[in-house]
Amino acid sequence: MSTAESLPAEAAAGRRLTIAKAMSEAIAQEMERDPAVLVMGEDIGRLGGVFGTTTGLLDRFGPERVRDTPISETAFIGAAVGLAAAGMRPVVELMFVDFFGVCMDAIYNLAAKQAYFSGGQVACPLVLMTSVGGGYGDAGQHSQCLYATFGHLPGLKVVTPSNAYDAKGMMTAAIRDPNPVIFMFHKALQGMGWLGTVPGSIAAVPREAYTVDLGRAAVVREGRDVTLVGLGATTHHGLDAAAELEGEGISAEVIDLRSIAPLDRETVIASVAKTGRLVVADDDYRSCGVAAEVIASVCEDGRAKLAAPPRRVTFPDVPVPFSPALEHPLLPSAAKMAAAARALVGEREPA
Amino acid sequence: MSATILVPDDLWDGDGEGSVSNWFYRDGETVQQGDTVAEVMSEKVTFELTAPVTGRLAIAVPLHGTVHKGDRIGEVG
Repeated sequence: MSTAESLPAEAAAGRRLTIAKAMSEAIAQEMERDPAVLVMGEDIGRLGGVFGTTTGLLDRFGPERVRDTPISETAFIGAAVGLAAAGMRPVVELMFVDFFGVCMDAIYNLAAKQAYFSGGQVACPLVLMTSVGGGYGDAGQHSQCLYATFGHLPGLKVVTPSNAYDAKGMMTAAIRDPNPVIFMFHKALQGMGWLGTVPGSIAAVPREAYTVDLGRAAVVREGRDVTLVGLGATTHHGLDAAAELEGEGISAEVIDLRSIAPLDRETVIASVAKTGRLVVADDDYRSCGVAAEVIASVCEDGRAKLAAPPRRVTFPDVPVPFSPALEHPLLPSAAKMAAAARALVGEREPA
Repeated sequence: MSATILVPDDLWDGDGEGSVSNWFYRDGETVQQGDTVAEVMSEKVTFELTAPVTGRLAIAVPLHGTVHKGDRIGEVG
C-alpha cells in the first residue's frame, strides 16, 4: 500500500470518516465476508462501543455475533482465545489498555504462543482492540499507552493507526491475519466529540474493503534536515512540528510508525541516513520504550551517520496525573518535538 | 445555488445546547450533496449533519462551538 495515499492532508476528495467509523466499517465488512468473525466486549453491543468502534454492528448482525459481556476481561478475552483456536475469528475490545492485567495470561501465554507451541498447527486469529492515551484528565488507570508492554512480547503484532484511512485498512488486515493482533486506537484521534478530535485523523476512506500492510511505517512528510518519528497521536505532533520548523528553514521528515511489532526499522534507518538527525516521540513511559527501541535500532545498524545524538520526547516515568495542570506539561507535544529538532540542527552548526 | 446547514429543530429532546464535535472538511473545501460534513453532540449523543447540495463549504460555527436546535452552522454554495 502506497504510503502517501494514507495522508489525510492529501485525501482531498471522497467520503471522510473518523477512525471510530472506519473501524466499525472494517469490522462490518469482514463480518459480512466471513461468518467466523464475531465481536465481544463491554458495551460493544447496544452502545456501539464507548469509543464508537462497533457502531451499528448489533442491529446488523444480531446478539449471537455481537455480544456484550460482563466486566470480566479474564473471562471474555480468555473465551476469545479459545474461540480463535476453535476456528472462529473473534474481535474483542479491552475498553482501556490499562486493564490488561487481569487478562494478560490469555494474551501472552496462550494467544501469543499458540502457533509456536502447536508447531504451526493451531493458529490464533484474534484481534484485541483497545484504547490508549491520555490528555483529557482521566488519571493513571485510563490514560496509559503501554505500547512497549505489548511490543516486547514475541508472537503478538501490535499496531496503532494515526488516521481513518489506515484504521480501516489495518483493521481489515488484522481480522484476516492468522495470528493475534493488538489493535491500539488513541482516544484523541477517535473522533468522539467528548474527547476532542485531532482534525488530521479524519481522512477520505474508500467504501470497499482494502488492507494496509501491518508492520510498515509510512513517511507522511518528506524532509532533509531531521527525521521526526511518531505513532498514533504523536504523528500529528510531528506534522505540526514540521510545519512550524519549515518557517524557520528547517526541513523535517515525518514518519508514522503505524506498527510497534513488527517495527519497521528499515524505513526509519533510510530516513535518518538521509537527514542525519533523529527525534522520536512516544506518549508511553520513557524507559524501555518504543522510542528507545527505535533509537537503538538506528544506532546499532550503523548505516545512518548521525550528525548529533538522537533525542526522545516521551511521557516521563511517573503514573499519569489526574490534574490537567500536571498532566498536560508531561505529554509529548509539537512544541517539544520542534525544540528537540532545533537543538539537533544547532548542534552541527553552533551559533 | 447556496444552501444552509442547519441543526434540525427536532434533533434532540428538550432545549439543551450542543456543540460541533467534528468538521469533516475544512472551510472552503468542496463537498458533495449527502456527504457527512459535521457532527454535533448533545448530552454525549452524536448526530451527523450532511451537505444539502454540492458546493463550497463555508463554516459558520467552528469546531467545539456551541449550538442550539435551529442554528445555522454553515453554508454550502
